[in-house]
Amino acid sequence: MLSAGTARAQDVSPSQPVVRAMLFGDATYLATDRKIPSGFELGQLVGHLIVGFTDRLNYFGEYTATAQPTGYAFEVERSILRYDFDDAIKISVGRYHTPIGYWNTAFHHGTWLQTSVSRPEMIKFGSQLIPTHFVGAFAEGNLGLQDIGVQYMLGVGNGRGSTISRAGDAGDVNGSRAWTASLSARPAALFGMKFGVGYYRDRVSPPSGVTASEGIASAFVAWQREQPEFIAEYVHIDHSPTSGGPTTGSDAYYAQLAYRLSGEAHDWKPYIRAERTTVSPTDVIFAPLDLGYEGGIGGIRYDFTSFAALKAEYRRERFQTHDWTNSAYLQVSFTVPDLGGGGGGGQQMQVQP
Amino acid sequence: MRSANGWSGFAGRIVLLVIVCAIVACLPVHVAHAQGNGRQAIAIVVNPKSAVTDISFAELRRIFLGEQQFWPDRSKITLLVRAPVAPEREVVLNEIYGMDEDQFRQYWIGKMFRAEVAGGPKIVYSSDMAINLVGVIPGSITFVLASAVTPNARVLRIDGKLPSDPGYPLK
Repeated sequence: MLSAGTARAQDVSPSQPVVRAMLFGDATYLATDRKIPSGFELGQLVGHLIVGFTDRLNYFGEYTATAQPTGYAFEVERSILRYDFDDAIKISVGRYHTPIGYWNTAFHHGTWLQTSVSRPEMIKFGSQLIPTHFVGAFAEGNLGLQDIGVQYMLGVGNGRGSTISRAGDAGDVNGSRAWTASLSARPAALFGMKFGVGYYRDRVSPPSGVTASEGIASAFVAWQREQPEFIAEYVHIDHSPTSGGPTTGSDAYYAQLAYRLSGEAHDWKPYIRAERTTVSPTDVIFAPLDLGYEGGIGGIRYDFTSFAALKAEYRRERFQTHDWTNSAYLQVSFTVPDLGGGGGGGQQMQVQP
Repeated sequence: MRSANGWSGFAGRIVLLVIVCAIVACLPVHVAHAQGNGRQAIAIVVNPKSAVTDISFAELRRIFLGEQQFWPDRSKITLLVRAPVAPEREVVLNEIYGMDEDQFRQYWIGKMFRAEVAGGPKIVYSSDMAINLVGVIPGSITFVLASAVTPNARVLRIDGKLPSDPGYPLK
């Protein structure tokens, strides 16, 4: 039995590393007139490992097993070692979710965390449009403008790999480092609101032999409270062939609106989303990849327990200039939070009787 | 077919019905606020060695949300939160977090997922436990009913106000 006895301060400043783990998973049923496999699909199984070496030095790891036609693909999604000097300066090194826009860092592999069945197309699994992962180092922190809640992130790394949907895990493929800078704000007067802008710069060297400078400007706004919940993102991607030629621009955006119902219907959250990706036909990197897209979704999420949700979603979409297609999804997603104890709402204190 | 007057009367009744429904819908809110005014104040207590004596409500919210993790002297903040069903937890979730229990859990899972924090708040199970722990853990902060505050506890002013002052925000 726990009692209010003498607490051990070393529980908070441990002499041994504090290890925590979380799990995310989902299973989806798909019916579609697209020319892709339908039926049941086991989504990603995502494991998180968080190690607190001290109250300032932490490790964050994220590992996935993804169902593929030939088996499971295992991936190190994130592996970050970070030292927090204070709120203004936190230095880290490793593999990250690239801080472009909102969704890529807020939800990414956490299907249960996101309202909808899947991510927007512009940051879908294996996205070629934006580099969703980043290998390198970051400095981040608060800028001291407390009423505005401004945060910055500055990063330098390898940029895209030769397969442009992948980060340069084993080194920079072209010797030209990528860098990224972003600012976001959570104004105290607009509790629940977050908005931000960012820029990413790299040189892209796909196997086709064409090399181009890449600049990605992004902006987002997110109203994170659930009555309503609103997320909108926009990215503009420039490519300038290094061998000369015109700079081309591609654009992608989405807007999602959801609303957590009240009273007896509190467990239900209907949502809609519209999205579009427009690629320049002369873009030397993107044009051959048929990344054009437009679509809309409507669905409802039902949180039948605190840690699991059922989502039903209808999607109408069109890839490049192909015909419109229709799909229906039914998904169960869940999380096993903080296996070290605390149920996601905190960690239990160890108290000596 | 209804006459113009008939439509006008019908529309009037609809408007009246909407107004009545709106008033009825608002009633529970007023009742809840009236009950809230009768609640005990919640005191914010910090480690006695803390140099902080007064804090703005906005800063308090950032600390409880895990957006501010260090005190101005660069010492690490340790957040101690009462376990569910404690009335003071309900006040803090309502007034500081603006969340219910499920949203609170999801919030901290999301914070850990995004690698913004290495762990959620530390859970305590009684006011005595909260007071005892905040007294021995450097940089810690917690909340208790004002009536549970012991003489040697360091209670923070919020926007210059103590729990006994009029206009104190955590009542």
